[in-house]
Amino acid sequence: MAAEPQVSGWRRWCWHGVYALIIVALGAGLYGASRRVDYTWRWDRLPQYIVSTEGEDIRAPFDGFVAFSADGKTLTVTEMKGAGTERYTGFAQVLVGQGDLVFQNDVLARKPGIRPGPLLVGLGLTLEISALSLVFALLLGLVAGLGRVAHNPAARNLAATYVEIIRGTPLLVQIFIFYFFIGTVLQLSAFAAGVAALAVFTGAYVAEIVRAGIEGVPRGQMEAARSLGMSTAQAMRHVVLPQALRRMLPPLAGQFINLIKDSSLVSVMALTDLTKAGREVVSSTFSPFEVWFSVAALYLLLTGSLSLLVRRLERRLAHD
Amino acid sequence: MTEPLIELRGVGKSYANGTQALKGVSLTVARGEVVCIVGPSGSGKSTLLRTLNALEGIDQGRVVVDGIDVHARGTDLNRLRTHVGMVFQQFNLFPHMTALQNVMLAPQRVLKLSVNEARQRAEALLAKVGLLAKADTRPAQLSGGQQQRVAIARALAMQPSIMLFDEPTSALDPEMVGEVLDVMQTLAREGMTMCVVTHEMGFARAVAHRVVFMDGGEAVYDDAPPAFFAAPRNERLRAFLGQVLKN
Repeated sequence: MAAEPQVSGWRRWCWHGVYALIIVALGAGLYGASRRVDYTWRWDRLPQYIVSTEGEDIRAPFDGFVAFSADGKTLTVTEMKGAGTERYTGFAQVLVGQGDLVFQNDVLARKPGIRPGPLLVGLGLTLEISALSLVFALLLGLVAGLGRVAHNPAARNLAATYVEIIRGTPLLVQIFIFYFFIGTVLQLSAFAAGVAALAVFTGAYVAEIVRAGIEGVPRGQMEAARSLGMSTAQAMRHVVLPQALRRMLPPLAGQFINLIKDSSLVSVMALTDLTKAGREVVSSTFSPFEVWFSVAALYLLLTGSLSLLVRRLERRLAHD
Repeated sequence: MTEPLIELRGVGKSYANGTQALKGVSLTVARGEVVCIVGPSGSGKSTLLRTLNALEGIDQGRVVVDGIDVHARGTDLNRLRTHVGMVFQQFNLFPHMTALQNVMLAPQRVLKLSVNEARQRAEALLAKVGLLAKADTRPAQLSGGQQQRVAIARALAMQPSIMLFDEPTSALDPEMVGEVLDVMQTLAREGMTMCVVTHEMGFARAVAHRVVFMDGGEAVYDDAPPAFFAAPRNERLRAFLGQVLKN
């Protein structure tokens, strides 16, 4: 096999220059295009939606009347119909006055401080949903993948049916089914339905990766293990799966990156993930370009760090 | 050499594509006997060997190993296999484990030995095949001959009463064949019952008690080495020997 000749020396730097030039040209094109549609870029508005310095809202816990202490540093709300009172201190900005009638959830005052803005909160939910679905998808995929290579026809057919149905229907439709049908029947919250839909969807793909990984381990490995008196399960666990795992890692990483991206579809079911948060921020800033570019960058941050992590794991698992 | 440890009676086997790999093979191997099985490729030697520990099923006949009807319904194959060791042409060492771990795995998982017992046993066996120094090496870092010796140690770790060798030197570079055959010869001298599928006629002549010639799924000829190699009364065997001994 002839090795591909390596581009070397100054030629290599030339091509790096070409790369940079193309990137700059694309950026300039993007800029020019946005000038043409007469769009005002307002990047300055965006940071507060990522990290908010506005502080925390203090909201009325119930309908009632507001009273301040003499020095004005303590705010007391007294329930209108009942005996409840609630005291607040340490606020900076006051939005109500002495004796005001307030209703539940009205903003009374703001505490100073830095807190995550809606985009970062959305990113957190995306991360949470993705991580949870990932764990369940792995378990489900492992079971279904083992079913695919099992000798038992019932296990094999069940696993094949599962994989075919899931891979043959759009994820968005599955999410609707999980939310409206299964979620209603089993009384699932939107969060649980979202996690279930993503796990079941990704599990089917993981099953195929597991199957391919197991089938990629030479048959002699199973034979050698069995000829030593190990049961099929022991041979799987100690001999075949550890080897299959190494083969499975790159495609699994790709699948989990897909999972993170697919999780944006749960925004259709009243879950404020990163995508839904983006939509909300757009409606309050009227800056769709900046917001969607930022949302994309945040997704990229997540998927990028995942592939970095996997590459490291791969290097640790490499044994020859 | 008294009681038969292995007994095959009229064993037949066809593959799904219709080829008949075994056509009614009958054979007995006594305790302590070393039997070499030779023959052209595709003659069914490996298939025959693999029916002895049920890595391969059979369609007709009976295989009895150590008093156990191998292919009967309800035979505990895992238990049977603990006393029938097998060595493969491609070694089939577990690449994700060190040599020592390869040898320790089955005694730990199947015989439920403690880590210390399994380690002692594995170290003794690696010493026996001359590879104690390579205990912590992974198979990929070992030569073919070393890998095969580890594989023999791994099979011996279950303390089998029978060892099956499926062309153990065929995948080796010529200069490594000797070290593996030496280990096998030592085993034979210690009285291990062995069935060896091989192309090494020198080994068969020197070590085997009997040599079986297989051709076209049949055990055509079966005799002690001097007679087997000197004056075969069989046409096909004469042609085969003419082919192999020429080289």
